[in-house]
Amino acid sequence: MNHQPVATAPSYYHQHLYAPQLAHGHYHDPAYTSVGYRPLQLPTQQVQQQQYAEQQHQQQQLSLAAAGYHHHPAYQAQAQQHSQGQVLPVRTRQQARQQQQVMAYQEQTPEELAELQKLSNEYQPETIGPLVGQREPCTKIATEYATADPVYQAKTAALPQKYSHYRTVRGDGRCGWRAIAFGWIETLIHHGDTNRFYEEEARLRSMYNILEAAGWNALLYEDFADEAFDLLREVANGMHNDTAGDVLVAAFNDEMRQNYIITYVRMLAAAWMKTRPGEYAPFVLDKTVDQYCDDSILPMDSEIENVSLSALKDVLLSPAGMALEVLYLDRTEGGEVNMHRFDPVNPRDGVAIGTIRLLYRPGHYDILYKAEDLPYVVEPITYLNFGSQPHQEHVFAINPGMDYMMNMPGASLINPHQHWLSYSSYDSGVSDFFTAPNPQQHCIQTTPNPAPVPTPAPVVASQQQIQPINIYMPQAEPQLMPPPLELSQELAIRSLPQPPTITSGYQQQLTGPFRPSAWQFEEGLAQAASQRPFQTSIFKNSPWNTAHFRNPDFQPEEWRPDDEYVVITKPLRHKTSG
Amino acid sequence: MAGNKRLMKELAENQSTPPPGCKISLENDDDILLWNVTMTAPSDSIYAGGNFKILIKIPKEYPFKPPVLNFKTKVYHPNVTNDENGSMCLGMLRPDEWKPPNKISDVLKLVRTVLAAPQPDDAVEQGIADQYKNNRKEFEKVAKDWVNKYAK
Repeated sequence: MNHQPVATAPSYYHQHLYAPQLAHGHYHDPAYTSVGYRPLQLPTQQVQQQQYAEQQHQQQQLSLAAAGYHHHPAYQAQAQQHSQGQVLPVRTRQQARQQQQVMAYQEQTPEELAELQKLSNEYQPETIGPLVGQREPCTKIATEYATADPVYQAKTAALPQKYSHYRTVRGDGRCGWRAIAFGWIETLIHHGDTNRFYEEEARLRSMYNILEAAGWNALLYEDFADEAFDLLREVANGMHNDTAGDVLVAAFNDEMRQNYIITYVRMLAAAWMKTRPGEYAPFVLDKTVDQYCDDSILPMDSEIENVSLSALKDVLLSPAGMALEVLYLDRTEGGEVNMHRFDPVNPRDGVAIGTIRLLYRPGHYDILYKAEDLPYVVEPITYLNFGSQPHQEHVFAINPGMDYMMNMPGASLINPHQHWLSYSSYDSGVSDFFTAPNPQQHCIQTTPNPAPVPTPAPVVASQQQIQPINIYMPQAEPQLMPPPLELSQELAIRSLPQPPTITSGYQQQLTGPFRPSAWQFEEGLAQAASQRPFQTSIFKNSPWNTAHFRNPDFQPEEWRPDDEYVVITKPLRHKTSG
Repeated sequence: MAGNKRLMKELAENQSTPPPGCKISLENDDDILLWNVTMTAPSDSIYAGGNFKILIKIPKEYPFKPPVLNFKTKVYHPNVTNDENGSMCLGMLRPDEWKPPNKISDVLKLVRTVLAAPQPDDAVEQGIADQYKNNRKEFEKVAKDWVNKYAK
């Protein structure tokens, strides 16, 4: 116990506790004079030393009388400190808190610490997520790294510019193998030729001799190979009804199935290396090629390494006409991921049928896609979103006055061509909606004069509104007028299946900013009659023009004899007549 | 199940052409995941004359997870635990070193090799390993005693 008159801060409180009779007089007692002011006057370091000494003391006491700890004056002093918190100097309260923290740490025995250390060493982050995920836009990676360090931020921000999509692969040590096996079949799907699946199976069957040469017998490798061939055939069948991609993703999310396929590609890579020891020996310096295969390729959870990646590319991808790119996302200098293309690409018939792209983050592979890798645009182009809404009135219901044309580049209600714009924005949606054929296609198919006279959306909706057109059109330019008979026939067809609710919905739509007054309409038509839609200087090169490849109703520009004749025949006529 | 197909094949192969010194049967006829092996020690080893019962437990995920071996006959060996489990610790049977192309007959061949030539540096019974290294005579005496006591 702390009976000796050591001038430490806590001793003050001990004394306080043990000698309450001194409480009023101790400032005048020479033995305590210094003590009373010490806590405020001592430099921090000294306080800490004192604190440490006090802890030592408490530890000793603790070990001596662990059971009676709660009756120990030091403990009570502490309790006292807490209860008297308001009147105590601030520093002592902090000291008390620190003391408790330090003590909590010191109370752990070496055994406990060793145990914690062991747990820490053995800790493996839980591998989560599907074995193979769904394809997602690369912008998600950028979002993921938005708060990371600047190098990652810059690189992931630049990623979506080149690589539109990615697919996660579960990081359980097999990710690289899984990503390539998956990419191999997916590239065949994107290539689109069903025969290619059977060719691949035949090619791999012809490589049984390599597996034999590596020391495996048929009993062993057939199970693994057959699983891969089964999947190839299933996916090939899926090509006919467009389920190939789903079949593939489902198969690779079946732990057992993908284990078979991964083991098969591991065996392929190992056999390839084992039968070409000379080729690979320089890359596995410290081991023989056989040892390398046994240690680093064949064990269940061994990760793919550069050598094995290269071997797998040689045996599986190159003969299939596929290229392999690895994009390294790490903290090296630069504003973009570093791309490593595995060369040589020796496609069978001179043209690579596709490229497998892997995004490498230290220790992990995911699959990357460029937009060109994908057989079709996965996401609908943004401007289609209006059209693809099945019930357009919702747009107006939310905000009846919304000028959504303003959202489109260069488009506005103020634009004199507004009718054609509004027509276009309705186009895909409305024509889908009424299950009517696309007006433009219709023109091309049925009218002898192929000049596309796009029927404004209101025409589709009601008979009354077509009248101005029929009356007006001949006056504007006879060349562009579709035969009235033809048009009315079609109108009849279109308006027939039209349920009344749709009409009402449409009427609601008409209350929007596009309400066509008769006068507005004619004015617009006059503009339109002289120009084909979206052929104006503003829209000629935009996706709004059907001649633009990104237009959903893409229709390449055609040479029209009539266009030429307008120019050419007139002078001729003048000549002959004159 | 594909895993069972492979096991069926292996079982058939092992029963028609068993690995040297081994007799293989199923512990229960309806459970293909529990194999019963009787291994005869190599005649040139100190365990010569001993017949050792080994139980092989095959996980459902086989061949993607390794089988587990237990000596049901007590054996004085640095690589076999001296308890009722009689677990044998082989490098190739560790989950992180297991290769799906490995077959159970490969495992048995290795077991027989290790039985004849203990690997004291990779021991599970450190005391026996030390004795094996430092006092080979005493080790051999005990081992032979145990063979006579338990493995005849």
